Order: sequence, then structure tokens, then C-alpha cells
Amino acid sequence: MTGIIETEGVTKRFAGVPAVDGVSLSVSSGEIFGLLGPNAAGKSTMIRLLAGILNIDGGSARVLGHDLVIEREKIKSEIGYVAQSFALYPELTVAENLEFYSAIYTPISREKQQLLLKQFGLQRFAAQRAGLLSGGYKRRLSIACALAHDPQLIFLDEPTAGIDPVTRRELWERFYELAALGKTLFVTTHYMEEAERCNRLAFLHRGRVVAEGTLATIISSFTGHSVYSVASAHNAALAAGLLAMPEVLLLNQFGDRLRVITDSSLTPESLQRVVRRHCDAAIELVEPDIEDVFMALTHERGRK
Amino acid sequence: MRHVLALMKKEFLQLQRDPRLIGYIIMAPVVLLILFGLALKLEPENVKMAYVDRDQSMFSELIKTNIWNEGYFQLYEVADEAAIIRDIRDGRARAGLYIDGNFSAELTDNKQPTVHMYVDGTMPSLATAMDNKKAAITDDKVSSQMYFLEPDSENITIAPEPFLLDMQILFNPEKRETWFFLPGVIGVLIMQVALILTGTAIVREKENNTLEQLIVSPITRIEFILGKILPYVLIAFADFYFILALGWLLFDLPMPASHMSLFGLGLVYVSGLIALGLVISTLSQTQQQAIFLSIFVLIPSILLSGFIFPIEAMPTYIQPVAYLLPFTYFVEIIRGLLIKGSDLAVLVPAYAALAGFAAVFIAISIIRFRKTLG
Ligand SMILES: Nc1ncnc2c1ncn2[C@@H]1O[C@H](COP(=O)(O)OP(=O)(O)OP(=O)(O)O)[C@@H](O)[C@H]1O
Ligand SMILES: [Mg+2]
Repeated sequence: MTGIIETEGVTKRFAGVPAVDGVSLSVSSGEIFGLLGPNAAGKSTMIRLLAGILNIDGGSARVLGHDLVIEREKIKSEIGYVAQSFALYPELTVAENLEFYSAIYTPISREKQQLLLKQFGLQRFAAQRAGLLSGGYKRRLSIACALAHDPQLIFLDEPTAGIDPVTRRELWERFYELAALGKTLFVTTHYMEEAERCNRLAFLHRGRVVAEGTLATIISSFTGHSVYSVASAHNAALAAGLLAMPEVLLLNQFGDRLRVITDSSLTPESLQRVVRRHCDAAIELVEPDIEDVFMALTHERGRK
Repeated sequence: MRHVLALMKKEFLQLQRDPRLIGYIIMAPVVLLILFGLALKLEPENVKMAYVDRDQSMFSELIKTNIWNEGYFQLYEVADEAAIIRDIRDGRARAGLYIDGNFSAELTDNKQPTVHMYVDGTMPSLATAMDNKKAAITDDKVSSQMYFLEPDSENITIAPEPFLLDMQILFNPEKRETWFFLPGVIGVLIMQVALILTGTAIVREKENNTLEQLIVSPITRIEFILGKILPYVLIAFADFYFILALGWLLFDLPMPASHMSLFGLGLVYVSGLIALGLVISTLSQTQQQAIFLSIFVLIPSILLSGFIFPIEAMPTYIQPVAYLLPFTYFVEIIRGLLIKGSDLAVLVPAYAALAGFAAVFIAISIIRFRKTLG
């Protein structure tokens, strides 16, 4: 099966400044593909390019087998798009929003609309104006609206931002159901735990892909670095001392543990020495996790 | 077409959820029409009339007394004819009367002398009123007393009227009536409703982020524009007849000779404005910008369309602007239909111009509305 999305050097500039810079990606059918990256990395821009909202400045892309530039209109009825910001008509009720969004594609029956509302826990709000829903329910409605026409490929731009963990889990259940039905999901997120839920990932940084693959391959290809856990609560002097070492890349405090990402040339002994100067904490070499990789990849390039 | 209907339904729902806006659509025209109607209809009273009486005879006195007795004018004397014009220009007087030195001499010679009256044309209703008073001034009561002069001279042919009244309208040679404005007022009110409603129609989608959702959908540009235009055409068209009905009920606005022509006018005018509103909407990023642009169109329409000042009286380099405004043609047609009773054939070019505007604006909005954002 060829890729549902195949991009080759896709570039988008705003006023000459690239927001997406030579991105080549491949997403295959039935997978949940995660696009990660810090703020302003170009995630939303990438999605809007692939959904045909923005025009590509350079490179080429095929979506669902159609050329994104030439055959844009052919793609439209087959894709769903959930924007990062809510795109609902606040004056219309929940049911009316869903009805409208289905009507501008191939209208679906009332029963199907009811079913969608039910799947997203929205039935009891059906007659309520969309503008009055809470943020989480607006998000559910946005997703339901984007699914109304049963698209093959669904773009979800931070679908779980600002969503409580229970709802987030529920949404992911839905995503898995969709993927099981053979739909392809293209998701952006800031949550590392969600990155782990994706089949494949790409890290975007300043418009460029800095890592791509499954979670395991991305972590295993994270060579040249070591991650230590220091059993110390926040300690400004310690942090300053560590950052003064040229081999220390960055620090990440988690409660009473400090994670230290270093160049692998740094020996545990020399790290221990510096730590001792400030406190009597034990250090431990740990496996890098996705967040370490994410931080290191985006940080490293930020320093250069 | 299914997509268009879906869009239309949504637009109507949105409007329905905004009761205040509906109130504005109905109430604003009522209030403004009554305001304009009254302001332009009020019968002037105590109109100051500057006069020069060089004749100082019993006959000239008779004319003045007659004018006084109308209970409409307050006469006061000024030095010369120039002073009359000056006083009218400066607003001290609204009318003037000039009786020449040899009035009674010519009268007795049956030479049919002329009495000159001046009216301030900037008060349109006054000009109409004066026209009606004219008859009262020259009526039989006065005239009969003047025929008396030489009842026996048989060799003199008596002119049908002993003297003539020459009425000159200053500053506004084209005589204006209440009705002269009212039809135009209808056009202004429709313009306000149409431009503001549609001007914000696409912008609102931008501000709601819903435009992106429409862009990713398979809706075509034409479907989108039609779905946006049609609901507002219906609303503005209903408003057009609503305001006309008010004019007919409250201000004795004349009926058109042909209702079909009026219907046609409403249709092309409203469609053109709604499309213009959409063009404005595609040019604007925020609702403020759209409203600003709407007013930017509204004001020159009111001032330069011949609605208030005759186009011929405007400097030649301004005149082309008038012909670029749809409202100019609306004013011409509706005055023709309701007041002058013009032949439809005369109005055909103006109809064509309005239809042309509608077509061009619709085309521009379709071209301007791209299915991408950049
Ligand atoms: N329409 C636009 N005009 C100009 N610049 C833009 C536009 N859209 C995005 N940008 C710029 O492009 C860059 C990438 O923005 P984008 O929204 O794609 O980031 P993102 O990865 O989605 O960020 P976030 O995580 O904050 O949503 C930013 O610097 C942004 O300012
Ligand atoms: Mg974003």
C-alpha cells in the first residue's frame, strides 16, 4: 500500500520566513501519525497545507493519491479537518452545527447524526447553542462535525489540548476505533504520553523534520546523549553548576528528581563530582524517554 | 444546489438567533423613514420674505396685503434687489418680492407688468408650497380690482391677467418636493441594511474560524457565494417593500404606473448591493473593517448620486463618480417610476446599469473568494 500522504520537500513561507521548510513525510493507510514539535514549529501550517487550506510554496505532495496542487478539489470530500481553534457556529445548536457540517458534504441521516452525538457524549447538549458549551465539549463537537461525512483521512490539530485526562482517553478510544476501520489519522500534539499512542511520529522543529519513525526507533536512534536522574528537589545552585558544564545539554525538574541530559562524552564520575559540590544526591543513568528526546532534539538545534 | 440550501438555512438560523439585529433591520428603516419624511414634509410657517416696492402704489400695496393675508409670509423691506438675494443666501429670508417702479403705470396701460418672486431652493418643500401660493397671490380677488382701472376704454384689449408673477428658485433651480427625497430615502435605507448585513457575512466566518472548515469542504466558490447572497437578497427585498409600504401609508408616496418595473428595480438594486456587500466582506479581515467600508460607500452614495444635489450642478470632474454609484441609477429610476411617471423606455439604460453592477459585483466576489487562505 502506498502512502496516504507522501510529501517531498514541502515548503511554506510567510513573508519570506519559512514556517514549513522542506518537509518530506510518508503516512500509510490506517495508521495514527503524530506530528510533534514546540510552539511555532509549523505543525498547524503543515496540516493546513495538507488539507488544502494553504498553498504550497515549494516541494510536492500527494494526498489520498491525488496531487495536492493540481487535484485539490478531489481530495476535499475524503478528508476531515479539526482546526486547532474551535470552528463552530456559536449561534447554532450542537445538533444544527453537526447537521450543517454534514450537509456541506454528503448529508447523513438523522440516526447517524444521533449516533455521532452519542459517541461523543453530546446528546444531552443537542439543543444547546454551541457557543455556550465548555471548551472540552466544543472540542468533542468539532471532532464529531469533522467526522460527519465519514472521511478516509482525518487531520486533527491538537485535538486534546485543554482536555481532561478521562476525556482524552475517551477521545483516543475513538481514534483507535477509526484507525481500526481503516481510517488514517494525522494528529498534532504537545503531550508526550500521546506521542506514545501514535503508530508513527515526526518531530518538527523550526519547520524541519528532526526525527521520524516509530517511538522505539526514534528513541533508539537518540545516540550521543546520556540521561541521568538526580535525586534532588529544585536547587538553583546545583542547576547553575550543572549548566556551567559544557557537556550538559539541559535540565528538566520533576518534583524531587532532576533529569539531566548530557553529551555521552561526560562520565558519570565527573557528573557526580559536580553534584556533590552542591548536595548529597545520588545519580542514576536512565533510559531516555520520549520527552528527553523531544527536549534534546528541539533544544540542541535551538542552541546552534 | 444542496450545498447552497444548507448554507442558506444556516444563515437564516444565525440571523434568527440574533433578535436585536432583526429589530434593527425592521426598526431602523421605520424610524429613519418617519424622521426623513417629517423633516422633508413639514409645511414651513412664518416664512420671512424680503421685499422691495419701488412702485409704492395702491396696487403694489394690494399685492403685499394679499401675501400677508395668506398668513404664511412675514414681509420686511430691504433696500434693493441685491439685498433680497443676499438675505436669502444668508438665510435671513426664505423668499423675496420685487415690484418694479413702473408697475402701476404699466398696469394701467394694460401692459401686463411682471412681479418678481424669489424662493430659497435649498428648502425643497418651500418651493412646492410657493407654487401653490402663487395662484392665491394672483387670484381673482387681486386681479378683479386691477381690471377696474379703465373699464370703459374699448380700444384697449385686456390681457387675460393684469400682471404676471415670475417665480425664481434660487440655489436649486430644479424644483424639489417631499416626494423628491422620499424614494431616494428608501434606497439609502436598503443600502444600509444590505451593505452591513452582507459586509460582515464572510468576515464573521473568518472571525469564527469556520471559513477554514468551509474551505476544506467540497463547497465550490459559486455555491458559497450564492448561499451567502440569496438569504440576504430575500431579506433586503422584503425590507424594500416594507419601507415602500410605509411610504405609501404614511407619506402618500405615489404608486408606480407599473408594479413590475418597481419589482424589477428592487430585484436588481438589492442583488447589486448584496453582491457589493460580499465584495466588501472579502476585502475585510474584521467586522469593523467591513462596517467602515460600508459607510465609505454609503456616504458618497448619499451625497454624490443626485439624491440631494443635482448631478449637473456638480463640478464636471466629480460627475463620473456619480455614475459609478449604483444608488445614482436607483434614484433616477425610482423618481421616474413614482414621481415623474417616466416612460419605461427612458429608464432602460439605468436598469441596465444596475443589472451590470450586480453582475460585476457577483463576479468580483466569486473571484475574490479564493478557496485557500494564502
Ligand atoms: N497566516 C500566517 N501568516 C504569517 N505567519 C504565520 C501564519 N500562520 C502561521 N505563521 C507563522 O508560522 C510559524 C508556524 O506556525 P504554526 O501555527 O504552524 O505553529 P504550530 O507548530 O502549530 O504552533 P503551536 O504549537 O503553537 O500551535 C509561526 O512562526 C507563525 O507565526
Ligand atoms: Mg498549531
